[in-house]
Amino acid sequence: MDKKLLKTIFYSSFLAIILFAITSSGYTNAENNSYTGPGDDKTGYDSKNYKTNSLSLDHREGKKADLIKYVTVKQLGLPNLVIPSENPITKEKIDLGKKLFFDRRLSLNNTMSCGMCHVPEQGFTSNEIKTAVGIEGRSNLRNTPTLLNVAFSKFLFHDAREYSLEGQVWQPVLAHSEMAMPSFGFTLKKIKLIPGYIELFEKAFPGEGVSIETFGKAIASYERSLISGNSSFDKWYFGKDENAVSDEVKEGFKVFSGKGNCIACHSVGKNEALFFDNKLHNTGIGYAESMGLLNKKKTKVQLAPGEYVEVDNEIIKSVNQQKKSNDLGLYSITENPSHRWLFKTPTLRNISLTSPYMHNGSISTLEEVIDFYNNGGINNELLSPMIKKLNLTDIEKNNLKIFLESLVGENIEVLIADALSTPVGDLTKDDPNWANNTDMGYNK
Amino acid sequence: MYLRKFGISILGAVAFIFSSLSFADETCMSPYMAKIVGQEDYVYVWTLGVEGLGDEQDKLVTIDVNPKSKTYAKVVSVLSVGGRNEAHHSGLSDDRKYLWAGGLDSNKIFIFDVHSNPRKPTLHKVITDFVEKTGGVVGPHTFYALPGRIMVSGLSNNTDNGGRTALVEYNSKGEFIATHWLPTDGDLRGAKKTGKYADGYGYDVRVQPRRNIMLTSSFTGWSNYMMDFGQMLQDGEAMKRFGNTMVVWDLHSRKPKKVLDVPGAPLEIRCAWGANNNYCFTTTALTSKIWLIYEDDNGEWQGKAVADIGDPAKVPLPVDISITSDDKGLWVDTFMDGKARYFDISDPHNPVQVYEEQIGSQVNMISQSWDGKRAYFSTSLLGNWDKTGEADEQWVKLYDWDENSKELTHKWTIDFYKEKLGRAHQMRFGAYSLYSSTTDNKKAVTLLDK
Repeated sequence: MDKKLLKTIFYSSFLAIILFAITSSGYTNAENNSYTGPGDDKTGYDSKNYKTNSLSLDHREGKKADLIKYVTVKQLGLPNLVIPSENPITKEKIDLGKKLFFDRRLSLNNTMSCGMCHVPEQGFTSNEIKTAVGIEGRSNLRNTPTLLNVAFSKFLFHDAREYSLEGQVWQPVLAHSEMAMPSFGFTLKKIKLIPGYIELFEKAFPGEGVSIETFGKAIASYERSLISGNSSFDKWYFGKDENAVSDEVKEGFKVFSGKGNCIACHSVGKNEALFFDNKLHNTGIGYAESMGLLNKKKTKVQLAPGEYVEVDNEIIKSVNQQKKSNDLGLYSITENPSHRWLFKTPTLRNISLTSPYMHNGSISTLEEVIDFYNNGGINNELLSPMIKKLNLTDIEKNNLKIFLESLVGENIEVLIADALSTPVGDLTKDDPNWANNTDMGYNK
Repeated sequence: MYLRKFGISILGAVAFIFSSLSFADETCMSPYMAKIVGQEDYVYVWTLGVEGLGDEQDKLVTIDVNPKSKTYAKVVSVLSVGGRNEAHHSGLSDDRKYLWAGGLDSNKIFIFDVHSNPRKPTLHKVITDFVEKTGGVVGPHTFYALPGRIMVSGLSNNTDNGGRTALVEYNSKGEFIATHWLPTDGDLRGAKKTGKYADGYGYDVRVQPRRNIMLTSSFTGWSNYMMDFGQMLQDGEAMKRFGNTMVVWDLHSRKPKKVLDVPGAPLEIRCAWGANNNYCFTTTALTSKIWLIYEDDNGEWQGKAVADIGDPAKVPLPVDISITSDDKGLWVDTFMDGKARYFDISDPHNPVQVYEEQIGSQVNMISQSWDGKRAYFSTSLLGNWDKTGEADEQWVKLYDWDENSKELTHKWTIDFYKEKLGRAHQMRFGAYSLYSSTTDNKKAVTLLDK
């Protein structure tokens, strides 16, 4: 018997044994090689029959990838990427940016990194909370946006207040409610005192060293490399492979581009599709929140799998620490009253990985999002005229959902595994900290 | 079977002898720890700094609690440690010379010398590399003394900031020994999943050495315990991220044996002291129940809900619990209504509430003396979970407890806001009697209860 056949038999038997062990023991899950989706999956938690599906953290080591190819080689369904001439992309910059991205020492108290909110296995956003939690637990108004394909965005942040990744990078680092570093200078000084960074900056930016510009350029380079196209949809629609998707996906796309008119904002071109229009719209979500239209006397609170109680909102109010200001969207940047509650159209690529949805994370599932638009959004004087009641049937809604699920990029596993292979930067004994007796050099 | 029972009886008898001699402490501490047999001299309060109050940072506050002292019921020492670390729990080393206190946010562990001068503790060492050394464990919570060791239970991790976490073992010098991950579906680590859940979450740790078991409970991860409480209650995604398990471990091998379903965030664990009382209690924060974790007639550890706490529909939020040294009573503090409830647990399978008292607008921790006559209460739950406005009282209160008449009598209150200290969290006791034979404190030995 040849070796190949023997090997096949061996692995088949092995697989059969494993499968038997899994099915006979009733385990819901065993360690698998998939990196997509939360390692602590709570699907079905609303039911008493919920079973855990949690992966072991110490087995999730990831695998380093060569990300630069995703920047330089066009992926099916995506346009050519325009890289800023002042920040040509290199492997060294991506690697440095990635290390900085996951370094919790870049926050005042060494607890927050970019990767704390943009969690790779959760679609580079956070599936576990509606709105982001910052340093010392400070509340933020908005849902963490995904970074997948962020390189194609003309505007950044939900309110479109920034225009380049290089410029965007510093804002969470210095924001009081996010990473709360006290200044540019202090941040740069701290980076220089963390062993290894000076050398990595020199490698990525020869002769330039650690500076405001190089810090921004490095992280921007990593974020720019998180490109994910060539989805099943792309293979069918742009690649003309009829077998790449199911009939439901095709029917769903008909709804998307026809009766549903989702395509009006989530654009699809002839040769490529970003699934966003680089514009801002009012869906009524922000309006309703500001006006308290969604406030109820009681809130349904989940206590355990399948177990809920209705809690009086007065009780909830008694433990609400942080007063939130209203989120007025683009208006908060321009002060133009016609810009109230305008928020950037998000991409739909990888949408099934990036729940919860809307700028404030107020909608948990794709089904609920479809219902929201099917009902015509929330009426207000500035509601986008493109949002109307759709009268979709249940079959149409289901097909639309299946279509949306076909937009997961082909390399998503690679991007997540690569991120997981990057060590998280946590405080070590050699880092600048008063308790390490390696202070920042004041009064010396 | 007969031989097995005989063996258990012998073990029980040995354990009883040991507990009479040197084990035991003020009811909730490690049985491996030195003991205060009478009046405590000091209460050490691990206190959260508050923005806009005093020096705004976490601190160890020492209160003189010896009624014979001139400074009785006064703060006699304040030791600021830098930053708001989310000061939470603390625990003493087996020799009781050092107090370990953790920051759930900063992951720093502050080790205080409480023996050189029990009246004025000093900062002996700060562990800054907890997350790095442990391979990504976040949120050092319980500090539990084992012989020559401190077992630290984590709450979270640095990968997804959720609830999957580990037990972490240090030696008494503060050197990292090992990380013991809690069992998940992906890696049960040899444990048996007895129900539907193996979430890998952690919170408290306790042991019953004579049965060679260690128990852990489960809470939630960083993104929840740091989040505004009101915001979290309204966040349906966040509310899915609570623990529903307890794990029975082999104490000696540190291997998980069984994962038990205990839905609704089981928090504090308190094990019975009696030589034949092979059981521990926990309470579930969200579902408001007392659970009994016990060894059945077949030698198997089981868990079952044995009583409701208040009206679970109103989510009273049971937080700290404290078992009496005779295993007959269990104090349960409920945060939301600010009450202390006393359950008769003479029949551990049927606890009955026999008393309740309003302690304040909010209450979290309780520490009682070994004889049960004194109960100290404190207020703070978590920095972003405490009540707001006038209901945000922050104090330490002492009550006397009369077991016969079942009555708490208020003795004194120290207002931690008025004193510009912060939010009062965990309380641990100190006494000169602990060090009387080895230090100059001999002269100050007080009230050693013979």
